[in-house]
Amino acid sequence: MDQHHHLFDVGGAHVARLEDLRLIKGEGCYAADWKLPNQAHAAFLRADRAHAKIVSVNTEAARKAKGVLGVYTGTDAFSAGYVKPLSMLTFAGKDGMKARIPDRVVLAHGRVRFVGETVAMVVAETALQAQDAAELIEVEYEELPVVVAPESALADGAPQLHDNVPGNLAFEQEAGDAAAVAAAFAKAAHVTKLKLDCTRVAPSPMEPRACLVGYDAGSGAYTIHVPVQGINMMRMQIATYTGVPDDKLIIKARDVGGGFGQRSIAYTEYVALMIAAKALNRPVKWVATRSEAFMSDSHGRANYITAELALDKDGTFLAMKLDWIADLGAYLHPAGPVSPMRNPVTCLNGVYKTPALFGRWRVALTNTVPVSAYRGAARPEIAYTIERLVDESAAQMNIDPAELRRRNFIPPQAFPYKTPTGSVYDIADFPGVLAKALKLADVAGFAKRRADSEKRGLLRGQGMATVIENSGAGMFPKDEIRLEVAADGNITAYSVSHSQGQGHETTFAQIIGDGLGIPAERIKLRQGIAEQGLIGNHTGGSRTIVGAGTVCSIAAKKLIEHATPLAAEQMGVEPSQVTYANGVFQSTESERKITLGELAAKKPLTVTGEGKFGSTFPNGCHIAEVEIDPQTGVTDVVSYVTVDDCGTVINHTIVEGQMHGAVAQGWGQIFGENIVYDPETGQLLTGSFADYPMPKAGWIRDITIADHTTFGTISPLGVKGMGESGCTASLGALANAVMNALRPLGVPPLDMPLTAHKLWQAIAAAKKGH
Amino acid sequence: MYAFQYRKAKTLQEAVDWLAKDEEARPLSGGMTLLPTLKARLAQPSQLIDIAGLAELAGIENKNGVLTIGAATRYYQIATSPVVREVLPALASLVSTVADPQVRNRGTLGGSVANNDPAADSPAAVLALNATVITNKREIAADDFFQGMFTTALEPGELVVKVAFPLPRAAAYCKFPHPASGYAVAGVFIAQTAAGVRVAVTGAGASGVFRWSEAEQALAKDMSAAAIDKLTLAADDINEDIHGSREYRAQLVKVMAGRAAAAISGKK
Repeated sequence: MDQHHHLFDVGGAHVARLEDLRLIKGEGCYAADWKLPNQAHAAFLRADRAHAKIVSVNTEAARKAKGVLGVYTGTDAFSAGYVKPLSMLTFAGKDGMKARIPDRVVLAHGRVRFVGETVAMVVAETALQAQDAAELIEVEYEELPVVVAPESALADGAPQLHDNVPGNLAFEQEAGDAAAVAAAFAKAAHVTKLKLDCTRVAPSPMEPRACLVGYDAGSGAYTIHVPVQGINMMRMQIATYTGVPDDKLIIKARDVGGGFGQRSIAYTEYVALMIAAKALNRPVKWVATRSEAFMSDSHGRANYITAELALDKDGTFLAMKLDWIADLGAYLHPAGPVSPMRNPVTCLNGVYKTPALFGRWRVALTNTVPVSAYRGAARPEIAYTIERLVDESAAQMNIDPAELRRRNFIPPQAFPYKTPTGSVYDIADFPGVLAKALKLADVAGFAKRRADSEKRGLLRGQGMATVIENSGAGMFPKDEIRLEVAADGNITAYSVSHSQGQGHETTFAQIIGDGLGIPAERIKLRQGIAEQGLIGNHTGGSRTIVGAGTVCSIAAKKLIEHATPLAAEQMGVEPSQVTYANGVFQSTESERKITLGELAAKKPLTVTGEGKFGSTFPNGCHIAEVEIDPQTGVTDVVSYVTVDDCGTVINHTIVEGQMHGAVAQGWGQIFGENIVYDPETGQLLTGSFADYPMPKAGWIRDITIADHTTFGTISPLGVKGMGESGCTASLGALANAVMNALRPLGVPPLDMPLTAHKLWQAIAAAKKGH
Repeated sequence: MYAFQYRKAKTLQEAVDWLAKDEEARPLSGGMTLLPTLKARLAQPSQLIDIAGLAELAGIENKNGVLTIGAATRYYQIATSPVVREVLPALASLVSTVADPQVRNRGTLGGSVANNDPAADSPAAVLALNATVITNKREIAADDFFQGMFTTALEPGELVVKVAFPLPRAAAYCKFPHPASGYAVAGVFIAQTAAGVRVAVTGAGASGVFRWSEAEQALAKDMSAAAIDKLTLAADDINEDIHGSREYRAQLVKVMAGRAAAAISGKK
């Protein structure tokens, strides 16, 4: 029996989520649910054009409108000094290049650079009054030329967005060994080249953004109720933006309705509200509309990659090279450019032993909504790139795609494996993962199913992706979990890492309950409690189970260690004469016993566990099977299989839920989600759910989920992160399946989104060509 | 949303009177188009006159070969009505493809017909079935009612009260829904009526729902997908946007028409 399995005899395989009853009964408390006495309401006037000089802002009529308490513009934001957002792009680029970070005044000052940028803020007694008054503000603009495509932004003569970002190039880096790659390509028997667009998408959490800022004039402290992925990350960003010290920024959050990276950011609106709360000495609240979300919440992906794979005649990968352009929009969010600069380099070889790798990365600025991390944060993009190259190579060289992968896998005996770009993959079994997936997807029976589809006039395809990704190492020095025992023996656990739907209340309780031998239902998790002053990472980069989750186990052990001498004292014995099991300390010398609760009743019983754990390397194989109707171009995904290695599984229900959601997000991106800007005007053309197709439940009928586990070596629990791996694998698997269906017609490689319209056009063009 | 006054009318006459007194007032039925428009601050009515609960606008009746449906009847009520399912199943099936369950539980037939969204489903049924739109003032034939996108024969102060559908010998509706909105990118309603075969196309037309006369003639001779296959739909009058070219929409009209024909006759 493996020790990791043994650890989880309390949790078990499938455990229903403890938070769900509360949430489905409407008892959640989201950002817009907070109310403070005497609160006022804000509305933002947003730029209605993509690039223009602000000649003047006339707020006179708005100030006189009914209920209006204050109107604030770029002048106010500039004089407050709220100009420079945090940047985590602190490492050196090509030839020591330092990142060029544009200023971003929280209310546009002098110029607007994307449609939706905050230009002015109106605060009134009611939200409706604020919205009405915002329409009375007159802004005189002088239009400037617009650029929305990143390749165009980097070209000579492009409109320039920021004085300190010449050529709209905010950063450039290289990684790998250019000379080794050139040598390998020179002797290659075959080269596969693809241009891959990982489209810009709108992450669209169910909960819209909202923020309520209170100000205490006596202490100078701000209380900020806002959706977060962790309060510390939010505080750090706001402190940097405003210069207000950490201890004067109290960030509060309870339930968060979806994050995907988008909720980790301190947006301009939050900081602008601080100006009003202080000026008016009243709490000020703002709740975004969905339209505002489309034009001001961070967008995701938007990476444009030219990729080449060199192979020898047997299909052995010799080298890969990339030219990668990351479109970050009009300004840089704190971690926005870090994701595409760091994550692809970490897993640049994917699951393969490709010996030579080289890439060039450029960060482009455009007149569009700023881009930041979105579930996977450039891990899906690099995996998509590699897996599209592998499948195209297999087709071009007439090698079975599974066999081509097998020939190039890092073998199980090679772990820990140091990659050409310096990462260390600790443990994995790629052939085992693949074999299991091939079997579950009945790959052997595919030819017969394809023939059956053909009889019905449909094109059938099967595609796979075998991928690996790094879970986030975390940027804070450690993760802390505090346990507080109540007199009834129930335990409150405090964490910084904040659930946006991941189910921390369940998994954390399971781990702590397992460590203490008590039911998970007796442990109540509280997140986002500023007063606890805990150190810890936000939830992101699939890191929570590895960091905070592991610390839950450490804290449980620490609680027993800490309480044992206290129990001994109560029972009048030596600590060495005390045993602990299932919430009860027992004397080995007598019948005496005392429970955790009884101990806590005598004096407060609290411990804080801590730990720091780095990246893990979850991996997996997804196989998709599709049927395409050539008459309409519609793709029906008829089968989807996932086999993942995320180490120890704490709760299969939650792991499966993560997989469902992440695969659906990949599905959405491949088949429809796509932010489109008018190239001439920079207007957002897909600014509502009437034009922007989210994946719908009916599209996704069934996902077969299995695991093939190697226990991670980073965490003593054996866990690996898994919140994003479904996105990472699904983009490639789905696109490969579509191309597998279309390739026999002579359809050339297509880019996402693979809409029905696009596929029909491609099929029609291929038929004409015949 | 701008501020407005909400008033719930007790009788049709009261609603008509209130609307007559205030040009800026708007009738509110299911609100599934109007409310999102208000939320986006794209309309600023002074009053919303709620007509959804009016007895005059309620009810489903099958009499003398005519199915009459009150304007405020919700899609869900039509889709699940045993009468509609028995005598005009194509209509029950059409309304069950409108948007999502939330919208079907609020949205009304009369609201959709009066709004005449060029991508709405109901106008295709009204036009193909040669229905009569009954208002508080008169009866209007479907061929005269729809006058281009978001435009109808309704005059100010005129409200749709009922829609009367003469029962066809057979009918079918096939729709290609927009993946985001659920509206028809192309929807084709075919009806075999006393006046011959009628084919109405929604979603694709540059000026809203229209009759496709070539298809009507071809299907009168041969109700089959093959008959449609031979036709060419001129792309000139077809709508084009970022979601679909003219050629694609024209193709979808043909495919949906062929499938609707096959659903009626069983002939591919």
